[in-house]
Amino acid sequence: MRNAKKLLALALAGTMAVSAVGCGSGSSDKKSSNGSNGSGSGEKQKVALTLWGAEEDQAVLQKMVDSFIAQYGDMADITITLGAESESTAKDTVLADVEAAADVFAFASDQINDLVAAGALQKIDTEDMDQTLNAYAKKTSENIKADNAEGAVSAATVDGSLYAFPMSADNGYFLYYDSSILSEDDVASMDALLAAAEANGKKVAMTLASGWYNASFFYGAGFTTGLNADGTTAIDWNKSADYTGVEVCQGILDITANPAFLPAGDGDISNQIASGQLCAVVSGTWDATAASSAFGDGYAATKLPTYTVAGDQVQMGSVAGFKLVGVNAYSDNVGWATLLAEWITNEENQKLRFQEREIGPSNNAVASSDEVQANIALAALSAQSSYGVVQIVGGNFWDPTATFGEILATQGVDRNDADAIQAALDEMVAGVTASVE
Amino acid sequence: MAVVNFFKNFGKAVAKGDIWVKLSLLWTGSGYAGRKQYVRALLSTILEAMILIFSIGFAPQYISKFDNLGDVQKEAKYNPITMKNEVNDYDNSFLILLMSVIILVVWFASILWWMNNVIRAYELQKMKQNGKHINSFMEDCKDMLNHSFHKTLLTLPIIGIILFTVVPILVMVFIAFTNYDQQHLSPTHLFTWVSLDNFKRLGSFGNNAYFGYTFRKILLWTFIWSFFATATNYIGGILMALLINNKKTRAPRLWRTLFIITIAVPQFVSLLLVRNFFANHGIANAFFEGIGFTSWLKEAGFITTNYIPFLSQPGWAHVMIILINIWVGVPYQMLIATGVLMNIPTELQESARIDGATSRQVFWSITMPYMFVVTGPQLVTDFVRNINNFNVIFLLTETVYKTTNQKMANAKGAETDLLVTWLFSLTQENYNYKMASAIGIVIFIISAIFTLLAFTRVNSAEREEMFS
Repeated sequence: MRNAKKLLALALAGTMAVSAVGCGSGSSDKKSSNGSNGSGSGEKQKVALTLWGAEEDQAVLQKMVDSFIAQYGDMADITITLGAESESTAKDTVLADVEAAADVFAFASDQINDLVAAGALQKIDTEDMDQTLNAYAKKTSENIKADNAEGAVSAATVDGSLYAFPMSADNGYFLYYDSSILSEDDVASMDALLAAAEANGKKVAMTLASGWYNASFFYGAGFTTGLNADGTTAIDWNKSADYTGVEVCQGILDITANPAFLPAGDGDISNQIASGQLCAVVSGTWDATAASSAFGDGYAATKLPTYTVAGDQVQMGSVAGFKLVGVNAYSDNVGWATLLAEWITNEENQKLRFQEREIGPSNNAVASSDEVQANIALAALSAQSSYGVVQIVGGNFWDPTATFGEILATQGVDRNDADAIQAALDEMVAGVTASVE
Repeated sequence: MAVVNFFKNFGKAVAKGDIWVKLSLLWTGSGYAGRKQYVRALLSTILEAMILIFSIGFAPQYISKFDNLGDVQKEAKYNPITMKNEVNDYDNSFLILLMSVIILVVWFASILWWMNNVIRAYELQKMKQNGKHINSFMEDCKDMLNHSFHKTLLTLPIIGIILFTVVPILVMVFIAFTNYDQQHLSPTHLFTWVSLDNFKRLGSFGNNAYFGYTFRKILLWTFIWSFFATATNYIGGILMALLINNKKTRAPRLWRTLFIITIAVPQFVSLLLVRNFFANHGIANAFFEGIGFTSWLKEAGFITTNYIPFLSQPGWAHVMIILINIWVGVPYQMLIATGVLMNIPTELQESARIDGATSRQVFWSITMPYMFVVTGPQLVTDFVRNINNFNVIFLLTETVYKTTNQKMANAKGAETDLLVTWLFSLTQENYNYKMASAIGIVIFIISAIFTLLAFTRVNSAEREEMFS
């Protein structure tokens, strides 16, 4: 009896250690296959790829994957595993362990600099890669640049090289409003919009505690952001463009002082739309369903309004955002991964994506089709796009600008204290331009 | 003492050992072979050979690069014929660091084993000289299952602890002395040693010393939070237990069950609900706006916003977090206090009452001292646990709280962050592993100091006897 107990204990300790060791070795020696089982010979090459896309896109992606295999199935033995990874968090997951990340993944265009800096993206427009694209997809990177919107291509380009395939051009914001309450004149300027909202006991919501949204005011007034060669961010918001930075801040402070203005947190906009207290909201296509059900028959969308800076009416700018599909530079099958990325972003599949998911295409031919033009949200987005800026910034941009937006949203500085506003701007710029670490 | 004795024994064995013992310095099996323990000799020799093969065949490729963690950067070129990338033989700084740590641990263990082996050989020599029985291999095996069974049982868990706890902690400690951050992300880029730079930045003062400033602010709040979170829950729990256990309370079981329900609901759910409840435009704000309290606060100058910033501005958020923590934490403390209260010998209280003590006197002179003695160690662990209380802070402030302190924002911190949540955002959102590791070491030191201090001072086991 006593021995049996000891044996049991021994066995338990053994299995514990063995299972633990099993986990360890499983994760450590996964990247051993770098031998080239070359094509050329008669046998079909075995290709296993992983594809990451948004949870909501899985069904449409599966269709694209099926058609990809149907297209290339006789050239290689292809198996593709689909995974769900939101475009907004793709960077965090990929950079956490780039060797374990998917071969092909979709991501929002503002993540491209960090991904390229970390060496996670395969360069597309090289001569060698063009050979592959030409041999299989009958096109080169030049065709891809020509077929997609200019902004989308420049968002996919870092240091003059193309690093990703443009997938959609709808990652920007504009104004949704309730046309049963507001007239077209009301939504032309922020002042009129807020006055009308107050008269109707409704509110106007916008996110300010995010450098993606609050840049709207600064881009509108001629300010810029950019990326330096060393990876730091260039920003001029504390100086003067068409107006001084202080004047822009005073314009924002006048808006946030209005009781009809509701500064919603980043990600809280959808809840606020659903709450029914809004008559207008600054958001993007992802809230189209929420807005149309909240505003009912009055559902309408248009470009952003103007706002008052130093007595003038200034059109609010916006960030023209895109969704891109990138190829993992650590993929074992870079060539086939590139072909897959090209496939799911080509004209037919952008059309399919719009039909099934109402996602705004970056492909020029699809974007100019009648169906896309008739979509309310996408029409507003394209009206705003002439004021859109491709936001190219480094990792230190986000926290300081979010905090700065929160200060303005909460009236954290006095509107008439120009020195305090300037000091806050300077501090924000110091944080944004600090070296990346 | 044990360490000193170990070295003394080793020295003695080397000095006084016969030829077999001296030979075992080179050939570990010789000490056994000389006493006719051939199987043991064979096993020792195999282990020695394995260590040598490991040290010569495997270790050099990593340990030789340990001084600068590699210097060959990754370069890849696409080959259109194979449709694959051709990659050079690049150095992976993280892998070099990890493997080097494992190698150093193995070497350290090997040296201990080698020294122990010499000592053992000398013991065998003495046993032989004294004419004692020397075990055969089968007898050794039986011994491992009987007399020395604890050794057999502990071997695998100890290996597990070393591999999965000691090695990762050592790696983290080493990273604090490197420049492993977003600019130096493995495997594409290399990182290297920077000595104490990261710690200097945590302790730095001055205008642009964002990390130093943020570190001091967050450290202060961590202590304030930890003190109040522990104290309020402790006192609240005891009061609640007393209230429910009072003879005049009706349906005590009902009340107890009601409070335990807050434990039954996962914190993820309850805290996120409360967070939405107190959001800038949540239910609580709608209510206070409806009764005109919000506009009164604004006129009185307490707030500058059109809502009450329960969880979105410093001060407000700090107080709210502590209050909400009372709500989620008190039921646990109540359960523990109930158990302890029931354990107080009733004769103590009764004799006190007979002597004419009031209820209050009984509470302060008997109940509370007893509680303190019994729950003292738990109070300390609670304090340390609250220093690292990630859940409450993260779930209540994540995405809701945006700092308006620009210096803190420049270091990716916020007023409501604890050291541990700051560490989380540094690694998860900013890949700043070097600073996160430095902060991790600081957290470890703080936790260790408090635990050691408290457990040496609060010695409940001895003092409990005063009561019985």
